Amino acid sequence: MAAVASKKGGFLDFFKNLFKRKERVSADAGERNNWKAWLYLAPVIILLAVFTFYPLINTIVIAFLKDYDYTTQVSAGFTFDNFLTVLTLAGKDEAQNLVYKWNTFYSAEAGGYVYQNGAELMKVYFQTDVLKYALPNTMVITFVTVPLSIIIALLISVCLHSIKAFQKIFQTIFFVPYVTNAVAVGMVFAVLFDSKGILNFLFGLGTEFYWIDHAASWGHGMIALCIYIVWHALPYKILIFLSALQNIDKQYYDAAKIDCAGKFKTFMNVTVPMLSPQILYIMITSFIGSFKEYTSVVGLFGSPSTDGGSTKNMYTIVYYVYDCLSGTTTVSRGAAAAVMLFIIIMIFTAIQFQVSKRRVHY
Amino acid sequence: MEIRLKNLTKCFPGNPKKGIPDTYAVNALDITIPDGKLVGLLGPSGCGKSTTLYMVAGLLEPSEGEIWFGDEDVTDLEPEKRGIGLVFQNYALYPHMTVYKNVAFPLTNLRIEEAVKDKDGNQVMDETGKPYIKKRKLTKDEIDKIVRETAKIVQIEQYLERKPNQLSGGQQQRVAIARALVKKPRVLLLDEPLSNLDARLRLQTREEIRRIQQSTGITTIFVTHDQEEAMSISDEIVVMKLGVEQQRGVPQEVYNNPVNKFVANFLGTPPINLFKGRVENNKLYIGNEVVREITEKDVPDQECTVGIRPEGIVVDPNGSFTFECERILTMGRDIMLVAEHPEATTNTKFIVDAFVEVSTGTVKCAVKPHKCFAFSLEGDELRII
Amino acid sequence: MEYDSRNFIQKLFKMKSREQKQAEREATAEYQSIDTSSMTLVIKEGRANAAQLARAQKIGRIITSVITYSFLLFMSVIILFPFYWMIITSLKNTTEIRANVQTFFPATVLWSNYITVFNTFDFVTYVGNTLIVGVISTIGTLITTILAAFAFARLNFKGKDLIFAILLATMMIPGEMMVITNYITVAKLPWYEFGVGMINGWLGYKDAVFASMIVPFWVSVFYIYLLRQNFKQIPNELYLAAKVDGKSDWQFLWHVMVPLAMPTLISIFILKLMGSWNSYVWPQLVTAGNESWRLVTNGLRSSFSTTSGEPQYGIQMAATILVTVPLLLLFIFFRKYIMKGVGRAGIKG
Repeated sequence: MAAVASKKGGFLDFFKNLFKRKERVSADAGERNNWKAWLYLAPVIILLAVFTFYPLINTIVIAFLKDYDYTTQVSAGFTFDNFLTVLTLAGKDEAQNLVYKWNTFYSAEAGGYVYQNGAELMKVYFQTDVLKYALPNTMVITFVTVPLSIIIALLISVCLHSIKAFQKIFQTIFFVPYVTNAVAVGMVFAVLFDSKGILNFLFGLGTEFYWIDHAASWGHGMIALCIYIVWHALPYKILIFLSALQNIDKQYYDAAKIDCAGKFKTFMNVTVPMLSPQILYIMITSFIGSFKEYTSVVGLFGSPSTDGGSTKNMYTIVYYVYDCLSGTTTVSRGAAAAVMLFIIIMIFTAIQFQVSKRRVHY
Repeated sequence: MEIRLKNLTKCFPGNPKKGIPDTYAVNALDITIPDGKLVGLLGPSGCGKSTTLYMVAGLLEPSEGEIWFGDEDVTDLEPEKRGIGLVFQNYALYPHMTVYKNVAFPLTNLRIEEAVKDKDGNQVMDETGKPYIKKRKLTKDEIDKIVRETAKIVQIEQYLERKPNQLSGGQQQRVAIARALVKKPRVLLLDEPLSNLDARLRLQTREEIRRIQQSTGITTIFVTHDQEEAMSISDEIVVMKLGVEQQRGVPQEVYNNPVNKFVANFLGTPPINLFKGRVENNKLYIGNEVVREITEKDVPDQECTVGIRPEGIVVDPNGSFTFECERILTMGRDIMLVAEHPEATTNTKFIVDAFVEVSTGTVKCAVKPHKCFAFSLEGDELRII
Repeated sequence: MEYDSRNFIQKLFKMKSREQKQAEREATAEYQSIDTSSMTLVIKEGRANAAQLARAQKIGRIITSVITYSFLLFMSVIILFPFYWMIITSLKNTTEIRANVQTFFPATVLWSNYITVFNTFDFVTYVGNTLIVGVISTIGTLITTILAAFAFARLNFKGKDLIFAILLATMMIPGEMMVITNYITVAKLPWYEFGVGMINGWLGYKDAVFASMIVPFWVSVFYIYLLRQNFKQIPNELYLAAKVDGKSDWQFLWHVMVPLAMPTLISIFILKLMGSWNSYVWPQLVTAGNESWRLVTNGLRSSFSTTSGEPQYGIQMAATILVTVPLLLLFIFFRKYIMKGVGRAGIKG
């Protein structure tokens, strides 16, 4: 029934109604259950407090700490330097002194930015991994794979919904990638995309055409990565869309037929609006998911690059964050990157909610 | 547009392995619906009336038989090619569109034929001398004008910007009718259009449907299980049972002359009273009392069922029938007696004028002969007299 | 005063109201010249003959279904091809894998790859670790989830909606925000000190590492949400009836609600177990000290990622199959539970 979609109770609705609804005081007044309820919730709240809420705040704090060493938990006070470093607005000279970009100037002679340190010019090195690779890669992955996988999933689920014979079999087949391990299948894709692999063979690209190794170009690596991510993202979306399609009242399609709407028009005017809550749900979750892409890179490349690790051209923001955990003093930079990621996700989610207000029909 | 259903059959195949037999939702239906008339398909639930309607609409494929609109066989046509309007039982208004968009939606899918005119406004002719006709989509203004005109007919002009869930049941129903009417269908089909409305609204809306049908003159088929509803607005009714047509005709005629026990029992509230009876020497008996003499024809002696309409029994101190009155139900205009009779198959209910003084206990009654029918006990329980 | 349907912004920019626009539209000569009564709406496009039209429809329907099935077939090949390739690659020798002409079936079926895997890749240990971590964290999750879902679905207390909303909001926070601090937290807890181990620890080094792979995952907001929805569907009358019978909330939860929600609980159990099997990031961090404590996925990647010279794809794929097959078996046996559990999430939006 379409009523399912319109019923209040989805968690998107929940937020909308949170501040509107006046909780009805039921006969067995809640007060009696009060302390007992907290007892039931205690394990969850304690665990969340220790492993979610405290870390959330602590990570934000760490992001603003200067020279924080997590083994000793000692820092040199408050600073914005971590963010500036991530954004390449601050770099380090050879003596590991922090230098702000606005204190430097470009020197063609030295082949980079330099600053006046006493009498001599000192070269400054910036950490460009995030701005040059991690952020653009994450954006490309997000804006390529999310729309692509949603459209393909929508197409497949509509086709699946329209057939009768073999529907169950197809449905099962399309779900299989969901139950696989991202790293393991990533390795399989690495075999497929190997220069002497089946894809180059099938498409006649020769054995010198590199996708993922031998310093393959950024574009090739990205194409392989996006194909893999879409492949891995399809099953969940298909399942959600298909079950939503099966819940649409068939009468609307009969009505559209009576109203002389063609197939495409029916799709745009009936199917898509009726699926809009699910589309929004999938959009938000997969946007968040692809901003956090990491294991697929590990699976496919084994390292954040197409050449075994030196250029990091396949970095994602999260990959950068994890890499930062390996050094004792880089943690706060990782924290700064994580906070930025968090802000980006929040902004995108807010935008989607805002846009959806007009487009989503409950 | 005259609609003819020829030998129309819908069979849902069973599963012989599991011993489920085929089910005939509609069985060899032959009906002709005259142009411009409002016809009610009537029957208890499960009698195949909605299936028939859906086959006429093209949403279900008939297993056998043909459907003709005028001189055109539309049996295999898709619904959108048939030129029909259908009002669904629960209206099926698109919940995400405003009323205006709901009504305009069919128009955005259609094209119109238009004679091409040159600069001076003369019709352009093709080689054979016929006017050259072009098809084109409707303009926004045209759609707007048609939508507003249709909205006026069904009186929903003030709700055009609302969403369906902001409307009452009756308003939704009128929107659904507007959506069906807006494309000027050849045939209008209504599937239990009043079943989702409350009693008062139902009365009002059925008048509305009648008015709209008469003002547009569209051939209309109307499906309902409520005999009162069907009788009050239809030009003709078709009574169905288990996929088979029982009787067709003008409502009053069907009521007065039911062909069999089913039709007699189905039409009329409270339902007809049934008694065990017999025919002997061209006289109809209930127990030992003569109900009436049969003068019109010779009927062989036999056991039978006697049906007497509730209004066919009158309280009469000199009457030959004795009932044991159990309860008296006051209905305002009349009163209804619930009584027992040894030969009656259930409680006997009959209606008398409110001013007649009665009390529970033994009541003497007489019977109006023309309100009495006798039905055979065999086969389709056809009417004997 | 006339009714003005314009909103604030429309008034600010002196935009016309809907009624004004409509009135203007109706005033135009074109609008008035439209004669709706003489319009002929086209019912049938192009063909005059109903029989022809019917035949065209039939052909159209066949074409549509041919296209639909070919598309689905094509997509299923894409979906399944990596699995097929994984299997046959694991049965090939390296020369055949690296050959210029690829074969779709191994020339000689080679089982030795699997033997090599068992010799180089301590599969049994990794699976053992994974099962310990998976089962304990799943059971813990189920307990906390049942308790919390019950409180949210049945009990009334102050701030219930607010807490639930906060819980749901945590789902939008990227886990990476937490990983950094959690890493420090588990390292700083008295059970072990970075890599050194056994300093003031309650637990041995190994146990502490395992505990840190389990305890943080004893709570899942998503499953609480899922189970709460399920609990809410259980009619209130049952609860009231139990109350009348003198059952406590605790008894009602374990004797009525848990059995009724069994399908969802099984779904959660399996999905959570699969999650443990697939988890990579966190175990990778906390088991840095000792390779033999790793879980399957970490073992897989680290055993076969360092490729000097020609990659040993045959052996890699054999190992990948060993990791993938248990998941596929789980899927085959519990398909209904898995698909229902996953699907239910999206339905309610």
